[in-house]
Amino acid sequence: MKQILIQDTNGNLRKELRDFHIALTSQLRERGLSEAAQVLTVADIGIYQKGIVAKILPEGFIYGSLQIKDIAEIIEKTVQKGEKVQALAIDRKNKQMRIVLRNCGRINPESFEDYAGCDGYQGLAKALEMGPEKVIEEMKKAGLRGRGGAGFPTWMKWNITRGVAGAVKYIICNGDEGDPGAYMDRSVLEGDPHSVIEGLMIGGLAIGANQGFFYIRAEYPLAIERIQKALNECYVRGILGKNILGSNFNFDIEIRLGAGAFVCGEETALIASVEGLRGYPRPRPPFPSVKGLWGNPTAINNVETLASVPYIFLHGGEAFGKIGVEGSTGTKVFALTGKVRNSGLVEVPMGITLREVVFDIGGGVLNNQSIKAIQTGGPSGGVIPEQFFDTPIGYESLQKLGSIMGSGGMIVLDVNDCMVDISKFYLGFCVDESCGKCAPCRIGGTQMLEILKRISEGKGVDDDLKKLNEIAMAMQKASLCGLGQTAPNPVLSTLKYFEAEYKAHVVDRKCPAGKCASLTSYSITKEKCTACGMCARVCPADAITGNRADKYVINAEKCISCGQCYEVCKFASVLRQ
Amino acid sequence: MGITQQDLLQLKEKSLKDAPKNWIRVGYSTCGVAAGADVVYKVLAEEVAARGLSVEVKKCGCVGLCSAEPLVEVNVEGAPHVFYGKVNKEVAHKIMEEHVCQKKLVENHIFEM
Repeated sequence: MKQILIQDTNGNLRKELRDFHIALTSQLRERGLSEAAQVLTVADIGIYQKGIVAKILPEGFIYGSLQIKDIAEIIEKTVQKGEKVQALAIDRKNKQMRIVLRNCGRINPESFEDYAGCDGYQGLAKALEMGPEKVIEEMKKAGLRGRGGAGFPTWMKWNITRGVAGAVKYIICNGDEGDPGAYMDRSVLEGDPHSVIEGLMIGGLAIGANQGFFYIRAEYPLAIERIQKALNECYVRGILGKNILGSNFNFDIEIRLGAGAFVCGEETALIASVEGLRGYPRPRPPFPSVKGLWGNPTAINNVETLASVPYIFLHGGEAFGKIGVEGSTGTKVFALTGKVRNSGLVEVPMGITLREVVFDIGGGVLNNQSIKAIQTGGPSGGVIPEQFFDTPIGYESLQKLGSIMGSGGMIVLDVNDCMVDISKFYLGFCVDESCGKCAPCRIGGTQMLEILKRISEGKGVDDDLKKLNEIAMAMQKASLCGLGQTAPNPVLSTLKYFEAEYKAHVVDRKCPAGKCASLTSYSITKEKCTACGMCARVCPADAITGNRADKYVINAEKCISCGQCYEVCKFASVLRQ
Repeated sequence: MGITQQDLLQLKEKSLKDAPKNWIRVGYSTCGVAAGADVVYKVLAEEVAARGLSVEVKKCGCVGLCSAEPLVEVNVEGAPHVFYGKVNKEVAHKIMEEHVCQKKLVENHIFEM
């Protein structure tokens, strides 16, 4: 029995697809093969922009750009003989590579046996055999850099913390993931809690700590529950506690919850929060590696970083170092969201291009709109316009483009997204989350936001763009912590690449994307209106009136420019200006 | 005395040996649960029990296809191994009846990674 899967391509090929489907089933029937092959439409095969796509199981052949005339050959060769039709075949290479997410979705996260079945805690066993110095040596070979955003080499962080004198040391897992649209850490904590625990233990061993902490934001109840269950299991089994795996290494782990402050993802604020104080950052140096939790040397690592660690010890640092590109080794998990067809988590080797991630894995832009840019790195990052999509992903390469790798949020923006609106959103986020301790961040952020609001309302003045730049530079230089230093990045990068769009707001008083409500007006073109009344039904302001005979009109005085009528109209009769 | 490396290796061997031939995995992280994975899991688990099948139904984490949650991965002998996305109660029943029992794939819900 064979299965022929035909990809349902979301609209524009509907008719061709239906005809192909009918032709295929009838030809199979004519040849008496109805029972030998099941034909079905499926939601997604993962091949896009290739017309009609089919996959044949169990062989797994994928054929693209199919036409009805190809059917006979497919039946004769593939269905009857199991041979591949080379001319039609698409060679699909899996561009993802799973290291951090290696067990996510495969094991039951609440089962210790499942994790043990995937070589669980074998990396720790190897690390215990090697001893701390060799562990750091191995990490150096791997070249793993912090996945939280800054990209500091993990081995160096551990080595510095190890080198500082002190009887008591700590290691903290930073699970205070707060970037809008990023949820890699949550998925790892929920899907494979033991791998993070194992990574934390190896880190503790390396720096000479006997106590570790999970700092997880309280908005992740399921992650907290699963980590707690995993920790309990570890204590019952004796993975945590004294004389771990028969060695003289003792290690305990506790959970601390974040109470919803974005700034607590910054390491000095995080430490204050773990200590039970208000989550205020403090100037560095001294760095936490020297003077951290309760004044003791402390290493703080991101969830994704720690989840990569067991893999390094299972497969060797050298093997890990070969993945990716020079300077940025290993894989990176991205939370692909926004106007993308397949939103979700993708894990790719470093060095893959942005285009491959967005188009080959993500499937391109929703509703076949054209892409404008992607936003990476959350409120600390920036936008990358389409002309740079062939850049290989790496810490430095993204930085050069004025964005950052960040924790891994990747938001796809299409032509309907307004860059002023985007930077207003991110800056607004940072203003909300600013702790208020230092003036550049507290006052600078608010001032910039005021200007952006003014621009989006069409009240911008000539030197606004210059002023934005100046305040941004001051914030970058003078803010106390990472939050304030990086908060202007979205504004700066949108200004850099989309200055014309800002100018359109300031000079022409127009929003090219039609997003800024004060600069956008809607009207109905009578000739195109079919009087279906959908627009009047969705209008939240009762601004649309009319009937079958007279068709519909928008009352400009009542209209709040929300754009819902524009979205809902199937006949393109609502005009946006 | 706590667990040793030997014990861990034995656990691994045991889990490889006991690995079920027929299994169904349900994505059960926040994304899945929010989309209704709890109902899907319940339906699948109850059906397996009611029909007396030897199929393991397991709660797992998120494979990454969050837009297609609830996601169900099915691997039973006699039918290809596939992912079903946007599964609800009705589709879960269909998966049981058509895929698991009749070895025929369910229309419209297959997602390939």
